[in-house]
Amino acid sequence: MSVIDIKNVVKIYNDSEVKVHAVNGISLTIDEGEFTAIVGPSGSGKTTLLNMLGGLDHPTAGEIYVGGTNIGTLKGSKLIDFRLHNIGFVFQSYNLIPVLTAKENVEFIMQMQKVPSKIREARTRELLTQVGLGDRLDSRPAKLSGGQQQRVAVARALASKPKYILADEPTANLDSKSTENLLDIMEKLNREEKITFIFSTHDARVMKKARRVITVEDGKVIRDERKTN
Amino acid sequence: MNLLKIAWRNLWRNRRRTIITASSILFAVFFVILMRSFQLGTYGHMIKLSIESYMGFLQVQHEDYLDDMTIDNSFESNIELIGQLDKMPGIKAVVPRLETFALASTGDQTKGVAVVGVDPGRELNLSNPNGRLVQYRVTPAAIEKLKEYGLPEKLLKKLSVLKNSSFVSSDGLRAGIKMSDTEAEKYLPVILEQCSFNNNPLVTGDDGVLVSDRLAKFLQLTLGDTLILMGQGYQGATAAGLYPVRGIIKIPAPDLDNKLIYMDINKARELYNLEGRVTSIAINLHDNSDQNMLKTKNKILAMVGNDHKTVKTWKEFNKVLLQQIQSDNQSGKLILGLLYFIVFFGIFGTVLMMIHERKREFGILVSIGMKRYKLAVITMFEMMFMGLIGVFSGIVLSLPLLYLGHEYPIRFTGDMARIMEDMGFDAVMPLEWVDMYVLWQGLIVAFMVILSCLYPLRKVFSLKEVEALRA
Ligand SMILES: Nc1ncnc2c1ncn2[C@@H]1O[C@H](COP(=O)(O)OP(=O)(O)OP(=O)(O)O)[C@@H](O)[C@H]1O
Ligand SMILES: [Mg+2]
Repeated sequence: MSVIDIKNVVKIYNDSEVKVHAVNGISLTIDEGEFTAIVGPSGSGKTTLLNMLGGLDHPTAGEIYVGGTNIGTLKGSKLIDFRLHNIGFVFQSYNLIPVLTAKENVEFIMQMQKVPSKIREARTRELLTQVGLGDRLDSRPAKLSGGQQQRVAVARALASKPKYILADEPTANLDSKSTENLLDIMEKLNREEKITFIFSTHDARVMKKARRVITVEDGKVIRDERKTN
Repeated sequence: MNLLKIAWRNLWRNRRRTIITASSILFAVFFVILMRSFQLGTYGHMIKLSIESYMGFLQVQHEDYLDDMTIDNSFESNIELIGQLDKMPGIKAVVPRLETFALASTGDQTKGVAVVGVDPGRELNLSNPNGRLVQYRVTPAAIEKLKEYGLPEKLLKKLSVLKNSSFVSSDGLRAGIKMSDTEAEKYLPVILEQCSFNNNPLVTGDDGVLVSDRLAKFLQLTLGDTLILMGQGYQGATAAGLYPVRGIIKIPAPDLDNKLIYMDINKARELYNLEGRVTSIAINLHDNSDQNMLKTKNKILAMVGNDHKTVKTWKEFNKVLLQQIQSDNQSGKLILGLLYFIVFFGIFGTVLMMIHERKREFGILVSIGMKRYKLAVITMFEMMFMGLIGVFSGIVLSLPLLYLGHEYPIRFTGDMARIMEDMGFDAVMPLEWVDMYVLWQGLIVAFMVILSCLYPLRKVFSLKEVEALRA
């Protein structure tokens, strides 16, 4: 079953003198349970594409359907609510609210969803344990390593029970050990809980873990490989 | 995690900036309160001097008296009216007076003076002239005597500066000389003895008069001298009489001190051919609030009927004082406005910086599903906390000073005192104790916070996720 249907999406930036076709006609289908990497050279349009899949930016042309909703037509607080309930985000760095502890950062998003506090607390504990931070519940981000912070961000992204999680270069600021650790956790969540992950990367080791690799260049998909294992 | 908690924690992210901004609010509030306290204290003191202890908060007058202050606009006062007023609840003093003008002459000198005919017993409760009798005067003879006595040169110098000054109390004299404790212990008794000034109070039915200090000096009057008063009596009659000087009084308001003569009201009626009449009945109240003043005014109005009599509040019969207070108050508020302007920009700058620094964080929060208004609320709470900390500590810091300045008003001496007295002020600087005005400072700062957040918060509402994320 498809989670995202991307149809002929174009994104043109024309705030500088030259028009930039950051995304230039991409059509894709992302299915439930995918573990997909988007790769390509710098400036090829990965971030632009992910931002549009996340409802953070609107396509200039084309449509993006998430569970039947064309998210390009959502605006304002409707769009924010849509993101809150359907999409999980892991950014490259400084994902977390610095004044909240790991536990509070995860709980916070469920609080916005008005999840009852009992359930919230139990789930927070469970998620942080799953990412290997069951003993760091009360640490603030500044007291956590970059890898630990990214794992909290993954737990937070999962907390809202989204349809899919988007991660734009989640390992770019991590050393190889933390990178591997984070990917193992993501992979495990994907396999055991059927969480759909879409992430961009430059890192060959990260690419290797993906089961589908979409390569973009100049805003176009030039390769789309699926591994069968 | 509620928004308040996040705001509170955010406050301490940049501890130093928070402390600096809160301190600037603190100092502004501190100075504003002190300044307000000084202003209000001064107004209170002015009102106390000229209204509460001379004119009264209310006066019963002839309806034309304010327009034309002559004895032709006097009215008949009787024991019943006074008695009725005495019995009214909330009234502290009822003081009938006959006030007019005369030429005072000693033969060599002549001067226009203000004559106040009073009931000495009742006047005790208002201007109390007998309480202002000069007790000490630094006469040249006294200085000579003290020189013989072997007073140190330094003290003699200070005394000669005060030559011919009068004092109503030994404390006043001591403060005037500015003696040290050891000097006072050694020499004050002898100075008091040499400078002591014999004086008599004005009694009911007295034939004599009390003359204010500066006037007495101008006319070169001493006790027991006779004064000639000439003037125009009721409806054009001639008024003239001879009056022995009973006592010399010192009035804290210099312009009055130049021209005041007190006499018994019945003697004044005889002089001016005004049997049974007064120019005003001054009234003091237990509760001096505007509200009570107006309420009592109306009650008295209903009582005196419309027999050409009326009742005026001090704000009506002393417009000069009212305007003086109002204009000073205006300029005071201007300075307050300026101080708050600075506070405004302090907060404004802080919010702007804060929002700039947290742009990416805001972008992430909105991306993951937080509504923009919640960010605005957090920012607002944060600034409110900062404002409250500043206001609260500013108030707390000012309290001891307000208390001290209220309980022990600063009293100027020497040149400063003389300058103030020449301008018609009493040389004291009392502070007003805590009242609504303190609360107002808190409200104004809160308002400033909201105002200074408006523009920066617009930035939060127009935040573009993608742009913010790249910050
Ligand atoms: N806001 C913008 N305004 C104008 N041009 C933009 C904007 N954002 C991106 N671009 C341009 O669009 C193109 C695609 O950028 P994008 O950030 O999507 O690339 P990317 O594949 O994520 O690169 P990288 O690997 O370096 O992160 C680039 O040429 C970039 O300069
Ligand atoms: Mg990118």
